[in-house]
Amino acid sequence: MLSRIAYVLRETGASLRRNLTLTVAALLTVVATLSLLGFSLLIQGSVGNLLVKWRNGVQVIVFVNPDASQEQIDSIKAALDSNQLVKTPVRFVDHEQAFEEFKRIYRGAPEVTDLVKPADLPTSFRVTPRDADNATVDAITNQVKTLPNVASVESARDVVNFVRTLSDFFRVATIVGSGVLMIASVALIWNTIRTAMFARRREIEVMKLVGATNWFIRWPFVVEGIIQGLAGGLLACGITALGNTLWRRKVVSSALFSDFQLLQATSAQFRTACIWMLAVGVVAGAIASATAATRFLDV
Amino acid sequence: MIKLENVTKVYNGDVVAVRDANFDIPKGEFVFLVGPSGSGKSTLLRLMNRQELPERGTVWVSGTALNALPKHRVPLFRRGIGSIFQDYKLLSNKKVFENVAFALEVIGKPKHVIRQQVPAILELVGLAGKEDRFPHQLSGGEQQRVSIARAFVNRPPILLADEPTGNLDPATSEGIMRLLDRINKTGTTVIMATHDTKIVNMMRRRVIELDRGFIVRDQARGVYE
Repeated sequence: MLSRIAYVLRETGASLRRNLTLTVAALLTVVATLSLLGFSLLIQGSVGNLLVKWRNGVQVIVFVNPDASQEQIDSIKAALDSNQLVKTPVRFVDHEQAFEEFKRIYRGAPEVTDLVKPADLPTSFRVTPRDADNATVDAITNQVKTLPNVASVESARDVVNFVRTLSDFFRVATIVGSGVLMIASVALIWNTIRTAMFARRREIEVMKLVGATNWFIRWPFVVEGIIQGLAGGLLACGITALGNTLWRRKVVSSALFSDFQLLQATSAQFRTACIWMLAVGVVAGAIASATAATRFLDV
Repeated sequence: MIKLENVTKVYNGDVVAVRDANFDIPKGEFVFLVGPSGSGKSTLLRLMNRQELPERGTVWVSGTALNALPKHRVPLFRRGIGSIFQDYKLLSNKKVFENVAFALEVIGKPKHVIRQQVPAILELVGLAGKEDRFPHQLSGGEQQRVSIARAFVNRPPILLADEPTGNLDPATSEGIMRLLDRINKTGTTVIMATHDTKIVNMMRRRVIELDRGFIVRDQARGVYE
């Protein structure tokens, strides 16, 4: 078993060296693909963090007085539900749900979440208007502001809607770009493997003649593809980590004391993005090389 | 050991390489396949180690009908057959020892078995002391001996040889034939395709003669003609 592993690694290493130009080309394409994928995930995460309270088309948030009784809360809900401009039913966010949201925003900062208890956070209604235009939002805001036991009303300003549109645009653009590059990556890995197999066709011929199993012949090539995917994933993680750090230091830090400081990925989100990049890299490398090896083995 | 029943092999739909071949080779026999180039000798060998499947008929090897052998069983089946060729098919970047060891390595034999069996087979083929040479440092006859060592190191019961003396001078060829004869005497069935008249006439073994895919003669203790 140990000699098998040594054999596979030795053959893989030799093959990667022999095909240096093609290997580098494939690797760089994989890096570009996975970096785009990573940035896409980070953008999605950051914007999600920024807009967490505005999820599901919410345009108006009605904060309830902390000392309001259940009956008083119910009467606010009744007023909102009977409003013709509002999509019913409105969603009530109690202390616990508010705390969950808070924890999501400050996921990377336990020193903040440890200080806050659910009861410290105000309860609120999340209101989705029937029409998302500014006039409707303003009308709802003005109507509910005067209701008894309403502490304050916050409405999605143009900028929130703009951020939402912008992030949707970038998400689609990065996913499409990543998808196109993914095809190029798979094609290049496929080609690397084909070249590697061609370079070793005499060995493969002998192996088939003396009765090496197909998987024995295939393994070094599949490992080669996996290594390319894995290396690409690691480099892509490095690139996105760099991008993420620069974003935090140069851009987000200038938005101190505004909601926009939420526009960053938490370290948990970064880790998840990295895992995705590595997983996609490894799976793409394995699939491309295994299919190429099977196709060109021709048994 | 090897039996062909009404075997026909057609290439690309119209080139008939073997037509309705029937013969039976018992265990331990030495058989020459003779005939001009393109008469179907190599195709017969390729049918016997399941590099090709016939269009019609059945090839039986060691009791297995090769048509019915599932693809994933082919490697295991081939471990029972050694193959040697006119061009030796040695790996030029590997030394003599490594070339022979390669055949054991890739079927998963452990290191200690390799260290024991490779020197023994190199001794048998007369290459003791040349383990560390590269193929290009050897004569043609020596290279063919390496290839025989590689084919036989796993002691397969069947040895297929496709023009093994095709690139060798008569004296060297005779040496190779003596080696194949010795291997045959250990009970190994040897089937050898050749058009080396002198060798066939010298050995006086069973001769199956082919002409444009037809078996035109099957004679015990035959000559080339």
